[in-house]
Amino acid sequence: MSEVIVITSGKGGVGKTTTTANVGTGLAQLNKKVVMIDTDIGLRNLDVVMGLENRIVYNLVDVIEGKCRLKQALIKDKKYPELCLLPSAQTRDKDAVSPEQMKELIEELKQEFDYILLDCPAGIEQGFKNAIAGADRALVVTTPEVSAVRDADRIIGLLEANEISRIDLIVNRLRMDMVKRGDMMNVDDVTEILAVNLIGAVPDDEQIVVSTNQGEPLVGSNSLAGQAYANISRRITGEEVAFLDLDAKQGVFSKLKGLFGRN
Amino acid sequence: MAQTVMIKSNKYGINLILDPNIAFVDLLKAVIEKFKESEKFFKNSKLGISFEGRRLSGEEEQKIIDAITENTSIEILCVVDNSEESAEKMKAQIDAYSEAIEREYAKAMSSSGEFYRGTLRSGQVLESDASITILGDVNPGARVTSGGNIVVLGALKGNAQAGIYGDTSCFILALEMEPIQIQIGNLLAKSPDKEKKKRRIAIREKKDSNELQIAVARDGNIYIEPVSKKILNNM
Repeated sequence: MSEVIVITSGKGGVGKTTTTANVGTGLAQLNKKVVMIDTDIGLRNLDVVMGLENRIVYNLVDVIEGKCRLKQALIKDKKYPELCLLPSAQTRDKDAVSPEQMKELIEELKQEFDYILLDCPAGIEQGFKNAIAGADRALVVTTPEVSAVRDADRIIGLLEANEISRIDLIVNRLRMDMVKRGDMMNVDDVTEILAVNLIGAVPDDEQIVVSTNQGEPLVGSNSLAGQAYANISRRITGEEVAFLDLDAKQGVFSKLKGLFGRN
Repeated sequence: MAQTVMIKSNKYGINLILDPNIAFVDLLKAVIEKFKESEKFFKNSKLGISFEGRRLSGEEEQKIIDAITENTSIEILCVVDNSEESAEKMKAQIDAYSEAIEREYAKAMSSSGEFYRGTLRSGQVLESDASITILGDVNPGARVTSGGNIVVLGALKGNAQAGIYGDTSCFILALEMEPIQIQIGNLLAKSPDKEKKKRRIAIREKKDSNELQIAVARDGNIYIEPVSKKILNNM
């Protein structure tokens, strides 16, 4: 049975695309068949984060308008052949697609893939409606900032109104040094406001910027963010994984402790 | 030339002084003109009216009232017989009228209370003519309005309006009282601007003072205080 998961946030710039790329790759590392759909028509960048930009021939709008077959538009990942990307069109806008068309497309993809990840655009307009149309699960990404949390709250309300009941929360870009000083909300503060299940917390990590620029998701690498994303991917499949100690010093020993010792 | 129509106003309404010597049609025109001139002054007001200086038949009275309500935004609540103590009489009649309205609202409010289960999130609005109890949080950006009281069995962090028909005896009660704005009747209060202090300390304090609190209107102000037996008895 395949699962359709929308990755959304309301506010822009909190890490939806980064999360999609890393969770998609993370699931592929667990030998799942995964397709990522970039629904941000007109502002595509999931392909850039995945490093697949130069392989795009057809896109989402081409498929929906019948200009090509679905298989032709799917781009295989460089490392994981079970991971595919359906890029969005750059020259069109959100109105080029309707929620009904998205549902149809997703039904077709369900035949082939275990996980369908939808990278949602920022905002709550047409693009958001398209992205959530076919989804049965949602990952809401937020940063520990009041503005991002406020938007996430609104988004959760809209998701509930659209009968997407399974909503998990990712708190992104945590800076433990700031949390300790009391300058930043901690994970508990955020979950207390939003009252949804927390599926992972990802620390702010320079390596994310490096990996985005290189077009290679860092999930599974030694960095804390990479481990956090790997854990999130495992939790999505239903596995119980203990939360990382984001406070750990970046030494080899504590990294190992972070991996194995926190059960 | 003496004016054919004069408007005198008292605390509770207006007194029309009419010229007895001209034709009724001309008088009507003059009335309309007069009220159009002063339209802005009387905008949207609800008034009692009395006539002076000329004997009018019931039909004529009605014509003048119709002319006023059609041409202006004034609402005429009642016609008062002109006599010496007209101001007092007007007051009595208007009081009777507004009491009747209040009785209706009170009926609507006391009819039932409603329950809502779940968290109200940013952008969501819950409206009710009756009192309402929410089993969950009201998050920032969400709004609850009620004709009666509001009870939040959770955190109130958004906006709440109780007694929207003007009843200032309504209250708002919450387990965690951190609203952005609250309104009781026509009184509005906003939360104080955030003091500059370290958030962590602020969070600590919040958790320490985690007790049932109630917002009530008193002497034209809204007070938020811990719930005590004394307050509940006074209500």
